[in-house]
Amino acid sequence: MVPLPSPCVNPYGLAIGFGLVTASILAIASVGLTLQFGVTNYVNFAYGDFMTLGAYLAFEINAGGHLSIWLAMVLSALCMGVVGVAADRFLLSPFTRRFPNLFYVLIVTFGLSLILLNLIGAIWTPNFQQLPVATENPLHLGPFLLTPSQVAIFGTGVALMFGAHLLLTRTKLGKAMRAMSDNTSLATVCGIDTRLVTSVTWFITGALSGIAGSVLAIDLGTITPAVGETFLFVIFASVILGGIGKPYGAMLGALVIGLTTELSAVVINPAYKLDVAFGLLVVVLLLRPQGIVASAGKA
Amino acid sequence: MQVVYYAFTLVFFFFAYSVLNWGLNIQFGGAGILNFAYIAFVAVGAYVAGALTAGPPAPGSGQSYVLGAHLPFMIALLCGGLASCGLGLFAGFIAFRRLRSDYLAIVLISLSLVAYDFVTNYVPLFDGPDGLSGIPEPFSGAFNLNANSFIFVFDAFSAVVMVAMWAAMSRLTRSPLGRALRAVREDQDVAKALGKNVFRLQMTAMLVGSFYAGIGGGLIVFFSGAFNTSSWTTPETFVVFAAVIIGGLGNNAGAVLGSLLVPVIFVELPKFLPQLASQPALVPEIDNMLIGALLIAVLWFRPQGALPERKATFDDLMAGQARW
Repeated sequence: MVPLPSPCVNPYGLAIGFGLVTASILAIASVGLTLQFGVTNYVNFAYGDFMTLGAYLAFEINAGGHLSIWLAMVLSALCMGVVGVAADRFLLSPFTRRFPNLFYVLIVTFGLSLILLNLIGAIWTPNFQQLPVATENPLHLGPFLLTPSQVAIFGTGVALMFGAHLLLTRTKLGKAMRAMSDNTSLATVCGIDTRLVTSVTWFITGALSGIAGSVLAIDLGTITPAVGETFLFVIFASVILGGIGKPYGAMLGALVIGLTTELSAVVINPAYKLDVAFGLLVVVLLLRPQGIVASAGKA
Repeated sequence: MQVVYYAFTLVFFFFAYSVLNWGLNIQFGGAGILNFAYIAFVAVGAYVAGALTAGPPAPGSGQSYVLGAHLPFMIALLCGGLASCGLGLFAGFIAFRRLRSDYLAIVLISLSLVAYDFVTNYVPLFDGPDGLSGIPEPFSGAFNLNANSFIFVFDAFSAVVMVAMWAAMSRLTRSPLGRALRAVREDQDVAKALGKNVFRLQMTAMLVGSFYAGIGGGLIVFFSGAFNTSSWTTPETFVVFAAVIIGGLGNNAGAVLGSLLVPVIFVELPKFLPQLASQPALVPEIDNMLIGALLIAVLWFRPQGALPERKATFDDLMAGQARW
């Protein structure tokens, strides 16, 4: 829901405000995707559909349970965490253990994406669902013009990024995740329970996908079964921009992509603002395939 | 008559998907390129072939698209294949430089999502979501065909195209180039150490596969007479992947069997099922879920597919009779 700007407001200031909101959504999604990539070393092509499922669960809990959408978001995140662990335990981990070749598990996640997309369509129909977000009056915050929901999304993003930072630097679990990300075999011989760390990582990535899907739906006001998948390449863009498997890179990538897409909407037709993200992705891949901050090796 | 017409529709899709499957088979089964954007290459071939025969948009029709012309359909079909190669060249130059296979898949899937988004939004280029319609049926003028007899003639033409493309593909797979591609698939570093130019080999597989995709797309657009962006989305890519893997990856005959098993039985046949009035999308949705589950099950229980790739033995190579 983009509020109409009043004539006295600077369009670039407005765009930066929206850019920060988009960057928050992207950062939550990108950190979730990249944490899982770092630990398991393969891309989850069903991640966009995880987000969509999270958004629909939040919608259902909000509408059916008469809970606030923010509480519904938290419950949906917990459910998606369980979905993530289940997908890993019963589908993805067995494949990675049995077939060392990366192709198998990548195709399985691609197939999982197809199954989830159609399952969501079968349950909630392919039509738009309107989220019961009341029309809000935008607030003037400095040069920005944002609805209270958008401010809350920004706050959620900042809080989760700070949480991810604490997790990765201050806890044993986070250090184990970083160790696995650097070298899984070395982490195993150091006595890290890699299966447990993998499961916990899938819980975190599932929960973050649920939150990212919910805030995306809150920001848009509507959900369709394809909402996560259309957002997926923007997430890929920010993840690759920062260097895949690097959580801090993903945060930086999300900020760059979020601001660039919203600022570009000032000068070009907003319908193409997401295509700008793809252009950036191509440029980064041609010039620095290992990402802006990451060291060489993974690419 | 109705049943015969349905049967010939299925036969047509069997031919067209066989061509599509060989294209993906040489990319993925041959050179290990995880092309999650495959359907975008098919769509480019289909659009170019369709527009080059449909003629420029009629004034007052509200349509607007580029490349409209009245070329003979054979030339348009070839142009469609070459246009797909153009997209393959572009994608290859971005994706084959120093990238791991999953990066490559990310770039390609993003490319297909962006292309879909852009083509749908930017109406002047390809007429946006409405696409092309009224693409003339090939041979109709020459043989004075009506809507019913067209399908027989076009099925026969597709059969000829399919056989020619099968012959070309099986020659290529048995050639030294085919062996070099398989070396790249198995281990890029080893292939490099043996002096193979991995970039050039991957690009070759990409271009040959794109050409097959474009030709298959052209056949489909001439058969259906219309082009609509919403028919060319990621789930369609998945159908081709499922067909190639279930039929037997790296085996050209397996790709033919896969064409029968997945696109014909799971995609085209259910289109004749009665739809639920309350939820018309439900049958295709259940269908797609079944295809996804089937592929995952096949990968687990029989990863080599129905007709496995025949690995060459040393004696075969010595006798010069290595066959796949």
